[in-house]
Amino acid sequence: MIRLWLGPLWVHRVIFLAVALILTFVRLLPLQTTAGHLPGPDLLVCVIFAWMVRRPEYLSALMIGVVVLSEDMLLMRPPGLWAALVLIGAEFIRARSALTRELSFGVEWLLVSGVIFAVTFANRTILGLAFVDQPAFGFSLMQIIWSILAYPAVVALSRYGLDLYKPAMGQVDALGRRM
Amino acid sequence: MAKPRTYDREDFSRPLRRVLVGILVVALLAVFVLWRIDSPRVERFRTALVDKVVPSLAWAMGPVTKLSVMVENFQSYARLYEQNQQLREELQQMKAWKEAALQLEQKNARLLDLNNVRLDPMLTHVTGVVLADSGSPFRQSVLLNVGTRDGIQDGWATMDGIGLVGRISGVGNRTSRVILLTDSSSHIPVLVQPSGQKAVLSGDNSMLPPLEFLEHPDQIQPGDRVISTGDGNVFPAGLLVGQVAMGADKRLRVVLAADYERLEFLRVLRSYASAPITDIGALLVPLPPRTLPSGVQGPLMPDAGLPLADGANAATAPAVADGTTGARND
Repeated sequence: MIRLWLGPLWVHRVIFLAVALILTFVRLLPLQTTAGHLPGPDLLVCVIFAWMVRRPEYLSALMIGVVVLSEDMLLMRPPGLWAALVLIGAEFIRARSALTRELSFGVEWLLVSGVIFAVTFANRTILGLAFVDQPAFGFSLMQIIWSILAYPAVVALSRYGLDLYKPAMGQVDALGRRM
Repeated sequence: MAKPRTYDREDFSRPLRRVLVGILVVALLAVFVLWRIDSPRVERFRTALVDKVVPSLAWAMGPVTKLSVMVENFQSYARLYEQNQQLREELQQMKAWKEAALQLEQKNARLLDLNNVRLDPMLTHVTGVVLADSGSPFRQSVLLNVGTRDGIQDGWATMDGIGLVGRISGVGNRTSRVILLTDSSSHIPVLVQPSGQKAVLSGDNSMLPPLEFLEHPDQIQPGDRVISTGDGNVFPAGLLVGQVAMGADKRLRVVLAADYERLEFLRVLRSYASAPITDIGALLVPLPPRTLPSGVQGPLMPDAGLPLADGANAATAPAVADGTTGARND
């Protein structure tokens, strides 16, 4: 029913917002109050990049900016910087969506890994230039590796759970428009 | 015969879109720069945002947290036998300690009686429930469900039942954030007993924060008690922090007394700054004698009699000036 009213675009936008809310909520649960834990993957970034490769039109730039900025705010990160960098990374992938459409998953994984690494590295560099205290480099590296490892799982969940796939060349949607 | 060019919607929307995304990125970076330049203002906004968002999620957070703790506890049933053995051993040791504690308690009571000690009555507390943690392995803080409406102020000390946990930093109306001692931005003055040396306990994102600025590290043994000092008006003095231990990197570190595994209820200690002595000598020195009128010789008493010592007024306790009403609820 909802699909009829809103169309797949807005359904998926609402799903994205819900996923982002749930991810932030889980991270806020007071379960890890001891220090010294190794960081896990940054799942929100994986979700954004995986969706951006598959259906760039589902994620508007404004939505990415607002979602990541509010996560910055809630998770006590320096606000704005991480949001801007993730947005730049996502737009980088969006600009190459015509290219990635024909690529195999291995090459896509490599591309996204490169973007995740570049974004994290830029974040550390700018924070260093602004003299902001930051954790040891090993922690960030750990997070990058976990994110890269988690990426195929996120892709699989999006593909088979939410039916998000790369449109084939020349495929048309329900209204007959080219995708 | 030029064919009129057909314009596609894309031709207009794509450059426009690029400009809009550029503006968005610049705006986000401007937020970061603003935070770097005028951090308190942005942090106040952040506190207000957290104050709005997190309590409205509390209805869901409570059950989910409880459930995951239950799952964890259930997993520990698998190791029931081992734990039982371990507990028996520990119980044996505890019996010895209990005996020692009883004797010490009696001794302590006698000594207190002799000294006629009265513990600081100003040190009352407000108890809060932990709502959320910082959500990131790089920041060590928790969010409590008490805020300005409960009279919480920035900088107050926070304890669990036993030891110091952290310091209030950021108070919203309904919530307040506690920066834990393990956070890398936490630096508090401490005292190591029995050598009586002062040091700074600096968090470094590990469970064993190191002691810094020790004058004579060789006089300190692992196992020494670490308590807070009132230096710099940061904390009330005498709160238990933990025990000294030697880290794997040969630095003196502190095993914290508070149970960081189970931060559920925390006490926020109301601490009031003691009245600062600003005017030198007003307490002890009497007023200077007035000059004699012309033509009069000999000693002259002041009109209002001899001045009383001003110490009588200065010694009374300062008035309580926070948001709380007179009644204490704890």
